[in-house]
Amino acid sequence: MRRLKCVPLVALIASIALAQTSGDTLLRAMRDELERSRGLKMLALEAPYFIEYTIEDADSFEAAATLGGLLSVRHDRFRVPEINVRVGDPKFDNTDYLGSPHAGAHYDIARFPIENSYEALRRDLWLATDSAYKGAVEAIARKRAALKNIAVSEPLDDFAPAPPLKKVLEIRHVPLDEDAWSARVRSLSAIFEAYPALRASSVEVHAVASAHYYMNSEGTEVRIPEHLIFLLARAEAQAPDGMLLHDAVVFHALDFGRMPSEAELRRGVTALAADVTAVAGAPRGDEYTGPVLFEGRAAAQLFAEVLGGNLALTRRPVADPGRSNFLTRVSELQGRQGARILPEWMDVVDDPAQKEWQGRPLFGSYEVDREGMAPVPLTLVEKGVLKTFLLTRQPMPGFAGSNGRARLPGAFGANAGAISNLFVRASETSPAPELKRKLIEICKQRGKPYGVLVRRLDFPSSASVAEIRRLLGENRQDGGHMVSSPVLAYRIYPDGREELVRDLRFRGLDARSLKDILAAGDDNNVFEFLNNDAPLALIGGASFVAESSVIAPSVLVDDLDLRPGEEELPKLPVVPPPDLETGPK
Amino acid sequence: MSEELHRNFTVLRSKADPAPYFLAYEVTEEDFHGVSATLGAVTGNGQSKSRRLDVCVRVGTPQLDNYHRVRGERAQFTSGAPLTFEDQPAAIKHRIWLETDRAYRLAAQRLIKIRTNAEVKVAEEDASSDFSSEEPAERVAATRHAQFPTGQWTARVRKLSAKFSDYPEILTSSVAVLYEDETKYFVNSEGSRLQFGRGFARVIVSAQAKAMDGADLETNETFEASDPGGLPGDAEISHAVDRVARNLKALLLAPEAEPFAGPAIFSGRAAAVFFHEIFGHRVEGHRQKDEAEGQTFTKSAGSPVLPDFLSVIFDPARKKVGGIELNGWYTYDDEGVAARPVTVVDDGVLKAFLMSRSPISGFDHSNGHGRRQPGYEVVARQSNLLVESKRAVPGARLRAMLIEEIKRQNKAYGLYFEDVTGGVTNTGRQGVQAFKVVPILVYKVYPDGRPDELIRGADIVGTPLASFGKIVATSDKPEVFNGYCGAESGSVPVSAVSPAILVSEIEIEKRSKSQDRPPLLPFPTQTGVE
Repeated sequence: MRRLKCVPLVALIASIALAQTSGDTLLRAMRDELERSRGLKMLALEAPYFIEYTIEDADSFEAAATLGGLLSVRHDRFRVPEINVRVGDPKFDNTDYLGSPHAGAHYDIARFPIENSYEALRRDLWLATDSAYKGAVEAIARKRAALKNIAVSEPLDDFAPAPPLKKVLEIRHVPLDEDAWSARVRSLSAIFEAYPALRASSVEVHAVASAHYYMNSEGTEVRIPEHLIFLLARAEAQAPDGMLLHDAVVFHALDFGRMPSEAELRRGVTALAADVTAVAGAPRGDEYTGPVLFEGRAAAQLFAEVLGGNLALTRRPVADPGRSNFLTRVSELQGRQGARILPEWMDVVDDPAQKEWQGRPLFGSYEVDREGMAPVPLTLVEKGVLKTFLLTRQPMPGFAGSNGRARLPGAFGANAGAISNLFVRASETSPAPELKRKLIEICKQRGKPYGVLVRRLDFPSSASVAEIRRLLGENRQDGGHMVSSPVLAYRIYPDGREELVRDLRFRGLDARSLKDILAAGDDNNVFEFLNNDAPLALIGGASFVAESSVIAPSVLVDDLDLRPGEEELPKLPVVPPPDLETGPK
Repeated sequence: MSEELHRNFTVLRSKADPAPYFLAYEVTEEDFHGVSATLGAVTGNGQSKSRRLDVCVRVGTPQLDNYHRVRGERAQFTSGAPLTFEDQPAAIKHRIWLETDRAYRLAAQRLIKIRTNAEVKVAEEDASSDFSSEEPAERVAATRHAQFPTGQWTARVRKLSAKFSDYPEILTSSVAVLYEDETKYFVNSEGSRLQFGRGFARVIVSAQAKAMDGADLETNETFEASDPGGLPGDAEISHAVDRVARNLKALLLAPEAEPFAGPAIFSGRAAAVFFHEIFGHRVEGHRQKDEAEGQTFTKSAGSPVLPDFLSVIFDPARKKVGGIELNGWYTYDDEGVAARPVTVVDDGVLKAFLMSRSPISGFDHSNGHGRRQPGYEVVARQSNLLVESKRAVPGARLRAMLIEEIKRQNKAYGLYFEDVTGGVTNTGRQGVQAFKVVPILVYKVYPDGRPDELIRGADIVGTPLASFGKIVATSDKPEVFNGYCGAESGSVPVSAVSPAILVSEIEIEKRSKSQDRPPLLPFPTQTGVE
């Protein structure tokens, strides 16, 4: 009897699963090929113990314009498969190894089918899995060989367990009015015509409607609709001494219908044009040591970069002997759990599950991470003390499991943790204008002619790739972490007068500086950005992005060093700029 | 463009030091459409429109300017900056202004370096100028825009690519169609003012597989036309799909080639690539004055360089040969010089080089072969290469001659190169003056009447001067190879046309190959599309 009862139940479950996903040929092709791939085995070598398929099924639109003329308009429909195979076992597998790139088997799968042909999808998944498996088998052999020559002090597991998750949501895309967005981008870019001091400017919009498919051999199956739209405006001006100054403004939404109104976009772009023009006309700042007030957006940017960027951990991979083994980025907070990193009246929570805050959609929300884990809210800092980190399935010293924060691709087969909606809260606050008075007061006490107020940082950076390279080089010489520079910095004189200055950079600003927060405002500033793994999260610097937001009060930080740049300045053009008013409008 | 050229040139001439003596702008507008499919499923369907700006500023004098070649050093001033594709004067002028300034700075900087260098180094062999004088050209042709029926082609590539489902031994395959409508706008400070263009439509059928020993094998066929309407119909492409698939299947079973030297026939298409690589690249003008180049033919003008029954003409004005459209035609080159036929070899004797506006000793003017891909600096490049023969025999006779030659040399077999993908050639002085042509379909031809035997994994290798002397005869039927050629100035569309050739000796070597095994699991679905 029990048996009989059982059978219909199983059949029922199966039929429900089918009802949910029937019609999704892609999901079916993934499931069937993944199932078949469990049987992969080469000669006497090990079979895979873990296989995962991720497919981004995307429909993207981009339009860019400058000075009222479209530069490019693109519509792309594509599917990007990412296939990972692990051989060995969770204690020791083919990941976390830095060796010569494995030859693998290369098949010419230039473009994954965008139509639902079961046969074509299976074929490409088959070849990609074969290639990944061969690469994994080769890597684990080399990793074993490398370990014969190196002593590992504290061996850590290579893969942490995670519960299987089934989350197959309906994909329903909201159509995007591409012509309207092209026209909007064109018209916004024409705003810059009224600012002849600007040397270069552009406005672009990017919109992606996608279905995120994830499946692994542990039974996790995910299909989630995702939307992202952002409008980016950039401007660059040249100061009379030749210095190039740039800034950008970005508007984001996770829902095509919830972008700011056209009027708000126009205000933002106009403010950018006016700000960059003003900065180019401002005097250069000079060396300064003392308190700095991060007001409004700059405070949230400071936490996003200096705190958010240090909340994920990385591991030093096993490397072939004699191979230089350095990580590009190691968290400044590594090993400091239990230590105080902020004033005791501050808490920090990362909450990807919260979708709105004070009626405003939160940009950093997500349902499932890159490893098929559903995230939960996480108190990272409590009463100033660091409690935990943003973790993935890669075990870290002191932390064995994931907390669902695998948001970006990491190095050597791992994923990287990143923030979602980061709430920085202060239990002791002052009214925001009070902070400026405090700054003046401290400066008076210390006999300083002025204090410094920062209203905007260049984070994520709007610099050119060439400039980022130069900054990286300079920083390597200094041996320090690279940190964003202020875009809008002001001298605050004892009488309250503000004077905009340009070309100031921080020296030695890092996670430790946050212990020197003297006071926080009673304001809450929301800053949204697209995080990526490029230096300074350079805008457009990497193809994988994690939507993020930081909600933080203005803060007054003591003992920061600022200094002007030292590089050679380019010359002004010989020929004056063309008169832009001659063209038809 | 003209207004901004005039404004920038006037101000730079009066205020800048060193002052420019020449300024040119070229804008390349590309309207692109493409759709591709594999096994009946579309893999890509896109279109884009772009304009790119190339700026040429010359400072100094035509005798010595910033483009002066210094021992293989490649000067790069232009950047191929993106320009709005809308006719919006403010945006266009502003970008032109910035790019002119950027290019001018680099030009001035390099001229100062060159002047210093010229005083330090020994005199160069070729003391010709850096820039030739040419008549300005003025012609604004109405821009033609052929329609690309995306919907129709999507259905067609879907259907055509599904035919590969019948061949489970083929790992990957695709049928793609691309169409690019290109318009160029050119102005210079000498008064040239041009607008011209053409279309490039292409169907590419390709398939890849892996032999049991790991060798990667690929076969493909392409069709070119200047208008999408000129591309072949479904029946013809369908036959190509079958040929590509069948040839690949045959290659999978074919034995690997052994190193060999002996007589061979190159099919017309294979011979065309042979001439393009081995001969064409060595008559590109700028190579004759670069001291880092091998200069195979530099001092051979007026001397025999090929067998006396062969002539080689480069004719960018020719649009078709035997009903087949050529890929390498244009009306003006990228320096605004009109396209014209150039007889480079007449009855075996070298008469001329392919010339851009960079003169060489004995050749003071351009012959309309200054070409580039947007974003690169112009150098002399090939157009439509045409091989003409006075010792032409019917194909059957040529084959009989091959058999005779095999017997005469007492070889076990000869070779027949039916199709090639392309090749590489090193023209530099560092490294060996050698070439390599990569054949796809190679057959052993036996003298005893046994059927020809397909082999795989053979690369043709050789040195240029030795190879030309071994051409014995040609067939009487020219064949066309259309393609894209990559060199210093980027990728440019070219054609090569040649009859089949019989050579008394050619050398092949084993191709390097992958060590990977074929996929471990079999093709996942043996039965057709769901």
